[in-house]
Amino acid sequence: MNLWLTQHVQACKQVLARFSGNALSTLLIALAIGVTLALPVVLYTVLDSLNGLVSDVKKDSHISVFLKKDIGEAATNSIRDALDQNASIKSVLFVPKDEALQQLAATNANEDIINSLEENPLPDAFFIEPKSLDAVAVDRLKYELSQLDGVEQVIVDGAWIKRLNYLLSLGKKAMLVLAVLLGLALFAVIGNTIRMQILTQRAEIEVSQLIGATKGFIRRPFLYSGALYGLFGGLLALIIACGVIYAFNQSLVALAAEYQSNFTLNFPNLTTTAATCLLAIGVGLISAYLAVSKLLFKSFN
Amino acid sequence: MITFDNVVKRYPASHEALSNISFTIEQGEMVYVTGHSGAGKSTLLKLIAAIERPTSGTVLINNQNVSKLKESTLPFIRRKFGLVFQDHKLLYDRNCYHNVALPLAINGITGAEAGKRIRAALDKVGLLSKEKAMPITLSGGEQQRLAIARAVVSRPSILVADEPTGNLDKNYAEDILALFNAFQQVGVTVIIATHDALGTVNQNNKVMHLSQGKLMNVETIV
Repeated sequence: MNLWLTQHVQACKQVLARFSGNALSTLLIALAIGVTLALPVVLYTVLDSLNGLVSDVKKDSHISVFLKKDIGEAATNSIRDALDQNASIKSVLFVPKDEALQQLAATNANEDIINSLEENPLPDAFFIEPKSLDAVAVDRLKYELSQLDGVEQVIVDGAWIKRLNYLLSLGKKAMLVLAVLLGLALFAVIGNTIRMQILTQRAEIEVSQLIGATKGFIRRPFLYSGALYGLFGGLLALIIACGVIYAFNQSLVALAAEYQSNFTLNFPNLTTTAATCLLAIGVGLISAYLAVSKLLFKSFN
Repeated sequence: MITFDNVVKRYPASHEALSNISFTIEQGEMVYVTGHSGAGKSTLLKLIAAIERPTSGTVLINNQNVSKLKESTLPFIRRKFGLVFQDHKLLYDRNCYHNVALPLAINGITGAEAGKRIRAALDKVGLLSKEKAMPITLSGGEQQRLAIARAVVSRPSILVADEPTGNLDKNYAEDILALFNAFQQVGVTVIIATHDALGTVNQNNKVMHLSQGKLMNVETIV
């Protein structure tokens, strides 16, 4: 086995032995990291699930174009042509006013009222599914449509989706801020832990330096410690997050059923899992590196 | 070979610990550095072992100029030396075996090969039976011998000891010095700082006497 690999295996073994020797305190530190990380992970999965819900709902959203009542067939046709040629429209459904009235009459409850009407109060209408669901694109399309000759009114369904979208992006920002702040807290937790370890191993470090240990040799076990704290913390965070989401889902199923939805929160997927662990390991490594560099090598040479 | 040429060591906000020291130590020599405490013996040993660098002048260790070397290469120079410290610097959180294992770990030697060497070193200083004992349970003389075992386990070509007999009674001290003589017999350069060595100096040993940071005289006993 080459020297480089030997040294890494050696450092790793040393750290694992130290961890298992102090199993309880290692667990507590990992728990502190886990709880800190669990919050942004839960928030992220909630937002991610809501995002999925919104894009599901969006699929049904469309634009209704109501025509002026006294419009002639020629004008209707020219509007139809304009819609067919519009590049940002995916599909168009034309519902003439007679058909609309029949549909309305079919929903029995209104039968008397409809029979009492002297003339059809409903306009001809186009129902449009836009290609892009982006708020700006939809707004532009709405404006274009309202400029067409013979169009009385353009209504975009699902204004609430727009609001929900704004709320979601606000939520995402809040999550980002929270993640950054808690990330800083992680730096403090791991950095401080490593600092304590360095202090308890002061004698060993001093002797090692005197008899020819390189900086890398001394730094290596602490870097492994930091990375492993990060990894353990990250895994604990995922376990905590899964527990929280499971508990939420128990109640959510009943709530969603009231809205005829089968919405549930997703569990962290592979990407989220990997990202959480890698980020935690990264933070652990960096804070361990900083702690070691700051405390060691100062007094010597 | 160790060569000092006009070496000055000055600590910040302090007097000169060493001034204008020049000498040469050949491979395989037995050298005693004598002088009162504060004469600069420890500083001299630190410069020899590349633990510190001179303020001015040249320190050559096997023809490598310590003051010109990059800091990152100094650890590799230090590994040529086996060091016995004035205060032992044993690690009290591990047993004798693991204390001796440290220099080997630094050199990347582990496993069975390390085990063989550690037991050989402990055997040489007569502590093989105390392999699993914690250093705190050893007597002063045994602790000193453990420190020597740690110093020789990586088979250094130069052995440097700072007051190795300082706190020991006469019998223990003679044991320790006999040990150092045995290493010199097999070709190891041995450099010992002491304030009362003259009684034990053998033939062909070199004695360097320091006083207030100056090298007063270098004599070879005949």
